[in-house]
Amino acid sequence: MKKILFSLVLLLSALFTSQFVAAAADLEINTPAISAIKNSMQARHGQLAAYYASGAIGLTNDGLIAVRDANAVPLKDRGGLNSAVAAENADRNKLYKEIATANGHPEWQAEIQSTFAGRWIDKAQAGWWVQGAGGWVKK
Amino acid sequence: MRVLFHIVISAFCVSLYSISAYAVSEIAIKVQHFEHPQGNAQNVALHLNLSKPTLTLSANVVLKQKSEKDWIQLNLGCEIPENAQFGAFNCADSSLKNSRINLPFSLEINQLFSHGVPDVKATLQLKNANFSDEAGLHAAEKLSGNVAIALKQTGQVWEWKTALDWQSGEVFWQPFYLANGGHTLVANGSFEGETFTVNTANLNIKNVGELKADGQIRLTDFKLINLNANLPDLDLSTAYPLLFKPFLEKTAFNNTEIEGKAALSLQIVNTALKSFELHLKNVDLADKNQKFALYKLNADLPWSFDNPKNVSLSYESGELLNLPLGKTKLQAEVNRYSLTSPSILLPILDGALSLSDISAARIGGQWYWHLSAKLEPISMVDFSAQLNLPKMQGKASAEIPLVTYSGGTLTTDGSVVLHVFNGTATVTQLTMQTPLGIAPKLNADIALRNLDLGELTRTFSFGAIEGKLDGDIDDLELQNWKLVQFDAMVQSSPGKYPKKISQRAVENISALGGGGAAAAVQRSFLRFFEQFNYGKMGLSCRLRNDICQMGGIESTPHGYIIVKGSGIPAITVMGYNQTVGWSELLARIKRVTDGNSKAIVK
Repeated sequence: MKKILFSLVLLLSALFTSQFVAAAADLEINTPAISAIKNSMQARHGQLAAYYASGAIGLTNDGLIAVRDANAVPLKDRGGLNSAVAAENADRNKLYKEIATANGHPEWQAEIQSTFAGRWIDKAQAGWWVQGAGGWVKK
Repeated sequence: MRVLFHIVISAFCVSLYSISAYAVSEIAIKVQHFEHPQGNAQNVALHLNLSKPTLTLSANVVLKQKSEKDWIQLNLGCEIPENAQFGAFNCADSSLKNSRINLPFSLEINQLFSHGVPDVKATLQLKNANFSDEAGLHAAEKLSGNVAIALKQTGQVWEWKTALDWQSGEVFWQPFYLANGGHTLVANGSFEGETFTVNTANLNIKNVGELKADGQIRLTDFKLINLNANLPDLDLSTAYPLLFKPFLEKTAFNNTEIEGKAALSLQIVNTALKSFELHLKNVDLADKNQKFALYKLNADLPWSFDNPKNVSLSYESGELLNLPLGKTKLQAEVNRYSLTSPSILLPILDGALSLSDISAARIGGQWYWHLSAKLEPISMVDFSAQLNLPKMQGKASAEIPLVTYSGGTLTTDGSVVLHVFNGTATVTQLTMQTPLGIAPKLNADIALRNLDLGELTRTFSFGAIEGKLDGDIDDLELQNWKLVQFDAMVQSSPGKYPKKISQRAVENISALGGGGAAAAVQRSFLRFFEQFNYGKMGLSCRLRNDICQMGGIESTPHGYIIVKGSGIPAITVMGYNQTVGWSELLARIKRVTDGNSKAIVK
């Protein structure tokens, strides 16, 4: 009987683990590292906003951004576009890692990243490009 | 090819027939569509005008390579020499066009064959040409220039020669961007089968420098098989954004201002880097985020896959995280992917950081290194001034037998001892992550012993306290140089010494606890005393998630004792807030110290 009960508990915990993780992670948690990363992203956003609007870049379904159509940007800015995307993605990866660490669960990073992916896409302005299951879609 | 052949033959028959019957002035051939394994053509219109003094041929055709998605319109208008052996084909107003390509060009073919074998001599002139690939990663705008091409077949080998004069227009060729013309290339070589050989190439990039190169490229995957490249005199202020920055995006050098000269040579043999040599001459470089700077940097950095090399580097001055670096000369031996040096001395302020037994290796794209470090005493007066801290007296020194860096984390085994406030602050278990990154992290344990409270309270304008202070700050963590976590307990040192606390300090300590005690002092007879005696004082704070869990030297049913009085007049200061928001506590301390320093100014 004890054994059965134990298996049942194990089964239930396995079933609910992912929900527990999502419910427990505080995505708004703040630390100086997180706020430094957010400030860096905020400072870059002015530059990126124009690229989102023109369709040069889009939001990917893994919580990052990517160059979608470099043709929308003047030649002289294309190198800068690539650096801005690389820097933004480095910041985003760091942000997910820091949020997971600040929650005391570094192993939650992947899950936090995928939660953010959905959030970014939901929050994207109309006209921005986002990556759906079948490729790029204009919101 | 078979289809094309068929069309040419039938057209030829038509023209012969016409000539015998009429005086023919022009021949027009139209083909709707034909296919070839390599590509398709549509709407082919050839127009041969026989009536002018010179023969003219105009050709309009829509072409598509099998691998491409878009069709491209080719228009050629050429004058044909009467004797094709010696005259020149002059195709002046020709163009290549589709949605992404607009290449107006003129082509002059001076020769096609000599002695029955292909021996082409031609000049191509581009006028305001625009093109782009679909992703926009290889593109040009308003490109004008001349390309002279010579191509000759000898057996299985084609020999080529070219001179390129890029006059104006901008080009982005991932990851490189060239804003203007003025660049030239003169090169020659051969190709045979899958190998494209450059015997000599001389590229002159305006305002940047000259590149001399030779080598071989495999045409199947465009991989460099062999290369000798030499850039003898590079202007770094222009070469950095063009040539180096694109490759340094993921390093600390991605946002640097740089000036000076460099020379670079490198060899690739069998697709692998065999050796390089980089010289830096009087280079000034400064991070735009002010994390580091080096001035009058001179370096001689040779590297070879096969042989160990000695590298040397020197600079006149510099800065690292706001700390000034003095004149330094470094030497090390580089052996393939590892670097060793017996000792390096880095002067910092009035002291120096002496590093010894340095060993570094690059494994799997990551740096690993270890060394031992000794900080020769530096004055805290200068140190605190450089970091914008209140002026502190004393000296800082350190002896760390082993510093290791692995996977972006710096770990120390040993201790940094700061001789401050007539006592010591010993930092152990010091680790750092990405110190030059956007969110640097520092962890440490700090032990404070016998700090002179008189000097400490004067330095931080807190209100005078006489005595000595011990403290243990464990599990300290700084993120972006801000405190996020620690378990701290500071208290008066054991032993016999004068212990006095001023009324102002009492007020300030109680203000930290949220008021109460100060008002009590003001109301009672205690306000007549300038200072009080105390037996013991102490305060603890356990900081987690921006909340400080506070305690004192003793707990009481309603709070904790911060200052325990002794003798006459004695005063006891209680704390009642068990938890205080850390940001709020910092704001209170700032108000206290600001307020007091203003009072002193008056």
